[in-house]
Amino acid sequence: MRRVLRLALEDEGYEMLEAATGREGIAALRLAPDVVLLDLMLPDTDGFGVCRCIRRDSAVPVIIVTARTDSHDIVAGLEAGADDYVTKPLVAKELSARIRALLRRTRSVEDVVFEAFTVGELELDVEAATCRRAGVELSLTRTEFRLLAELARAEGRVCSRDHLLEKVWGYGYFGDSRLVDVHIRRLRKKVERDPATPEYVVTARGMGYRLVPG
Amino acid sequence: MAGRWRRRLGLRARVTLALGALSLAVAGSMAIVSWTLVTHSQLDQRRQEVLAEAEDDAGLVGLVLARGAAPGQAMAALTGTPPPVALLWRDGAWYSAGLRPEDLPARLSDPTHSGRTQLSPEQIGGRDVLLVEVPIRPTGSLPHAHGGGRYYAVFGLDAVESLERRLALILLAAAVGTGAAGIVLGRWLSDRALRPLRGLTEAAEAFAQGDVEARLEAAGDPDLMGLARSFNETAEAFGRRVAADARFAGDVSHELRTPLTTMLNSLELMENRRDELPDRLREPLDLLAGDLARFRTLVVDLIEISRDDTASHCDHDERERIEIMRLCRHTAAATVGRDVRVDGPDELYLDGDKRRLARVVANLVANAETHGHGVRRIEVTGCGARLCVAVEDHGPGVAPAERDRIFQRFARSVDPAGSDSGGVGLGLAIVERHLSWHGGGVLIEDADGGGARFVAWVPWDRRLRP
Repeated sequence: MRRVLRLALEDEGYEMLEAATGREGIAALRLAPDVVLLDLMLPDTDGFGVCRCIRRDSAVPVIIVTARTDSHDIVAGLEAGADDYVTKPLVAKELSARIRALLRRTRSVEDVVFEAFTVGELELDVEAATCRRAGVELSLTRTEFRLLAELARAEGRVCSRDHLLEKVWGYGYFGDSRLVDVHIRRLRKKVERDPATPEYVVTARGMGYRLVPG
Repeated sequence: MAGRWRRRLGLRARVTLALGALSLAVAGSMAIVSWTLVTHSQLDQRRQEVLAEAEDDAGLVGLVLARGAAPGQAMAALTGTPPPVALLWRDGAWYSAGLRPEDLPARLSDPTHSGRTQLSPEQIGGRDVLLVEVPIRPTGSLPHAHGGGRYYAVFGLDAVESLERRLALILLAAAVGTGAAGIVLGRWLSDRALRPLRGLTEAAEAFAQGDVEARLEAAGDPDLMGLARSFNETAEAFGRRVAADARFAGDVSHELRTPLTTMLNSLELMENRRDELPDRLREPLDLLAGDLARFRTLVVDLIEISRDDTASHCDHDERERIEIMRLCRHTAAATVGRDVRVDGPDELYLDGDKRRLARVVANLVANAETHGHGVRRIEVTGCGARLCVAVEDHGPGVAPAERDRIFQRFARSVDPAGSDSGGVGLGLAIVERHLSWHGGGVLIEDADGGGARFVAWVPWDRRLRP
């Protein structure tokens, strides 16, 4: 499957690096790929561990490939730091669309005109893609940062999950709202003092999320 | 006949009636026995009383006569409350005190009959009375003793009769009351006795409706333990079997996913280089593409349906607020690749699983496309506690006999032309499953302008806002 995906994606115009095991994959990070495609079923270790390992020292976008559609695997993968997921059977054309969306939005951070937000103690510098809380820089992945910036742009208004899926992930109507929920959880762990009682990223029950100044 | 009755009446009604009848019978016979005993003893007592009274009075009359008083005076000397109703016969003449000689029965008024003390129930003047006859002995101490005489007295039975009436009334009331109490008791007892059966009925019904988790509580009742245990064991085994089947289907489709990915992508590569292929290979490539697409649908559907078999019901985590019109528009357009007419009021909201509901709409629309000559329109209506999404098509409709069958897994449409219409037979089964996950269901009607109308409904709270 890995080989045929490489062939098909090369056909779509991507340059591919192949790694047969988790260890090889982590080693390949040195070559600074734009996107990592990670199968959760690996011969040597489990995919969640590899994902956490990647996240320790890289903000590279990670798409997990899973054979299971049940909540557990997908949520666990996202919790481990993945940016998006695709389920088997996947077709190179669809996968390519996801990769393009991911690359476009991660790159677009650099294209955005100067924008900065201050929400309570949080300071967002969109141009530099950095976020500080009380002057201390937080290490956010690019997707987490995009999510936070999108919430900040709404200036306290509620952002529905649909809206966030479209703006941050480039999904149409059928995006998986678990993507938003898990990323919000990850974001809270980094942004909030106590993630259990969020001060900044607040849930608007049944509607979505909003960012308030503490 | 008895058999028919038994069949028509429930066990509870029979127990109730039997207990009612039994208590009525027991109370009735007890009443009859007590009535007989009491009235007999009352009558006996009254007889002894009147006999003694008449003998006393006759003795008094005899004494007065012995002193040489005239018989009329002797009779007038009788007192009492009420004064005795009596008659005296002496020396061929009658002396009356309230009782006339013609009132007496002929056998007693005959002067020649041998007089002795006797008591007999008679009817005088239309009333039941006790008539007592007491002979008055000739008083021998006087020189020209008169011949004997006869004293008659009549005593009413009013007191005894009224007692009898009251007693009868009381006993009747008691018997009826006991019968009614028997019915109430029977009802209560049968209710109590059948309560565990009601549990069984409920459990069996839930089980029949697909709740394989339904179990029977024996609640420590030793008489029901066996039944509950066998029911629960059967249910358990069945549930395990269902889960194993579902897991098997799920495992198989998971295992198929990886090779399927390889096949799909290899095919895509080949199709991208279609121009480089010799003509002879293009048709087999198309055939392969068609079947591979169908195979993909089958694998995805199998995973979908087996996942729901094992997932716990009503996982509220997966629910979110959905604007249903928007969902229908997006899903229908994505499914058929063009805009589909969606009628209904905007701003209808529902808390549900978006993925499942989108799947329902997509499958119904796809069904209309493949089996109903194309989808005509979707109508969304909220009425009462239900939100309905109706998908109408241009086809010939669904025969009533087919309406249940087509929701079964792998129930292919019987196409007279024999052509394969492209479905794999899981789409409608998934529709039904996802709707029942939401507590709803699906039914088929005839659309107004001909064609079939598939109505999916889910419970709905009309007050929901975004």
